[in-house]
Amino acid sequence: MSRKWLIDNQGLFFMAPAMILFVVFVLYPIFYIFNASMYDWDGINEAIYVGVQNYIEMFTDDRAFALSIRNSIYWTLLTIFPQMILGFILAYILTSNIPFQNVFRIIFFMPAIVSPVVLGIIWQRIYAPFGGLLADLGREIGAMFLIQPYIADPKIAIFSTIFVNVWQWTGFSMLMYVAGLQGLSQEVLSAAEVDGAGTRQRIQFIILPMLRHVHLTLILLGVIGTLQTFALVFMLTKGGPNHATEMLPTYIFQKAFTLQSMGYASAVAVVLLVIALSASIFQVRVLGSRFTIGN
Amino acid sequence: MTRRNAARTLVFAFVTILALIWLVPIIMMLVVSFMPPDQRAPRFGGLLIKGVSLQNYVTVFEDAEIVMHFVNSVAVTIPSVFLVVVISSLAAFALARLKFFARDIWFYLLIMTLMLPIPTLVVPIFQINKALGLNDSYLGLILPYTALGVPFAIVILRSFFAGFPIEIEEAARLDGCTRFGIYWRIMMPVSWPAVAVVIIWQFMTSWNEFILALVTMSSVEVKPLTLVPLVYSGQFMMRPGPMFAILTLITLPVIVVYYLMQRFMVSGLTAGAVRG
Repeated sequence: MSRKWLIDNQGLFFMAPAMILFVVFVLYPIFYIFNASMYDWDGINEAIYVGVQNYIEMFTDDRAFALSIRNSIYWTLLTIFPQMILGFILAYILTSNIPFQNVFRIIFFMPAIVSPVVLGIIWQRIYAPFGGLLADLGREIGAMFLIQPYIADPKIAIFSTIFVNVWQWTGFSMLMYVAGLQGLSQEVLSAAEVDGAGTRQRIQFIILPMLRHVHLTLILLGVIGTLQTFALVFMLTKGGPNHATEMLPTYIFQKAFTLQSMGYASAVAVVLLVIALSASIFQVRVLGSRFTIGN
Repeated sequence: MTRRNAARTLVFAFVTILALIWLVPIIMMLVVSFMPPDQRAPRFGGLLIKGVSLQNYVTVFEDAEIVMHFVNSVAVTIPSVFLVVVISSLAAFALARLKFFARDIWFYLLIMTLMLPIPTLVVPIFQINKALGLNDSYLGLILPYTALGVPFAIVILRSFFAGFPIEIEEAARLDGCTRFGIYWRIMMPVSWPAVAVVIIWQFMTSWNEFILALVTMSSVEVKPLTLVPLVYSGQFMMRPGPMFAILTLITLPVIVVYYLMQRFMVSGLTAGAVRG
C-alpha cells in the first residue's frame, strides 16, 4: 500500500461509499439467506439446523410454492409481450407528429408512476362484484359477461391481477420505444422511403430490427419486474384466494413475517435469487441484453 | 393526401379513446375522493357521483395523521435521492474515467444488484436493521434504498460520463486540475440531463417502495405514505370517500415531481443514457 499505489488507484476512494453499501446491504444478505435457508428458525428462538430439509419440502410438498412458480411463468409471458407490442404501437403513433402527442405520452405513462399500493385499492373497486365499475357497467348496458368474480375466482384471479400490471407498465415500454425511435437514423428511414418501402415494410425490416436493444432491455426489465412483484398482489388479493395469485415475493413475506418461518422464507428467497440471476445472466451473456435505457 | 389525412384522423381518434379508457382508474380515484359523504353506495365503482364535496379531505386531515406520514416519506426519500446522486456519480466517474484495482469486477458486482429481486433481501435487511437498531428509524430505509438505487444510477451516469470528450479532461489535467476537480467542476455541471433521470427515478422508487417499508416501519409514527392505506384500511373500510382522498394525496407529490421533471426524462434518456 505504497503512496504510489494509492495515487494510481485513487478510483477506489471514489468507489468506496458504493462498495461499502453494496457489501452491507447486498453481498452480506446473499450469504445470509443461503445460510439461513438451512435452519428452522422463527426469528426469535434458537435456530435448528435442518440441512436441505426446507428445500425438499418446498419442491415436494408445497402447493403454494408450486402455484407461485406457475404464476411467475404466466406473469412473465402475459405481461412482457403485450406490454411491448402495445407500447411499440403507441410509441410509433406518438412519434408521428399527431396533435397533443406529449399529452398522450404523459397519460399513458402516468400509471407507471403511481404506487402499486394505490392501484391495488383502486382496482379492487373496479373488480368488485357489487358497486364495482365493471359489474355496474355490465348491468347497465346488458353486457353480462362483464359481471365476473374477477379476483374472487381462483381460476381467473391471476389473470385479473396480471391485467392491472399490463395497464400499469405499458406506458413505460412506450417511453422506451419513444426514446429508441427518436434515436433512429432519419437517413436510413428516408432512404428506405425513397426506395419505395411502405410503412409496414419499414417497420418490419428496418425499425423493429434497429430497436433490438430496446426489445432486449424490456424483456430483461420485464423478467426482473415479474420476479419482484409484491405490492400490487399484496394489496389486490393478498396472494389469494387460496394462493391462486401467490407470487414468490408474497410467499416469502407470508412465510417470514406472518408465519415467522425465517429459515423457510430464506430458502424460498434462495430459489428466487437463483431464478433471477440465471435468467438475467442468460439474457445478458447469450442475448446481449443491457441495462440501458434508450436504444 | 386526403386518404392520408383520413388515416391520421382515425389514428388520432383511436389514441384519444384509448387514452380516455387508460385514465379511467385515475379519474375514478379523483372522483370518489370528492364524493359527498352522505352518498353511501357510489355507482360504477364511484365514477358517477351526485355533487362534489371536500368533506373527505377534511375527514382525512382530522382523523388521519396524513401530514406526519407525508413528512416521513420526505424524510426517507430526499436523503436517499441525495445520497444516490453523490455516491453513484463518484463511482460512475471512477468506473468511466479512472483505472484502479479490480475495476471491472466491481462494476459487474454492482450490476448484479440490478438483477436481484428486492424481496430476496427482505429477511436479511430486516435482521441487519434489527442488529443495528435501525428498525422503526428513517435510516433503516434510507440506507437500503440508497444501496439498491446506486447501481442503476451508476449505469446511467457511467455511460454519460464515458461519452464526454477526453480532450477537455486532458486540458484540465494539464492546467493542474485534480481528478476530483474534473469530477466536480467539469463532469457534474454538464451532466444534468443524466442526473435528472437519476433524481426522478430514485424519487419514484423511494417514494413508492413498499415491501421494505412494510417490514422496517412497524410503529405508526414513522410509517411513510405508502403504508397509509394499510394503516387506515380498517377505519375507512366502509367509507371509500376518505380512503380515496388518501390515495389521491399519496399520488399527488409523485405526479407533481414527474410533471416538473418529465421534459428532462425523454431528453435525458435520448441524450446521454443511450450508450451501454
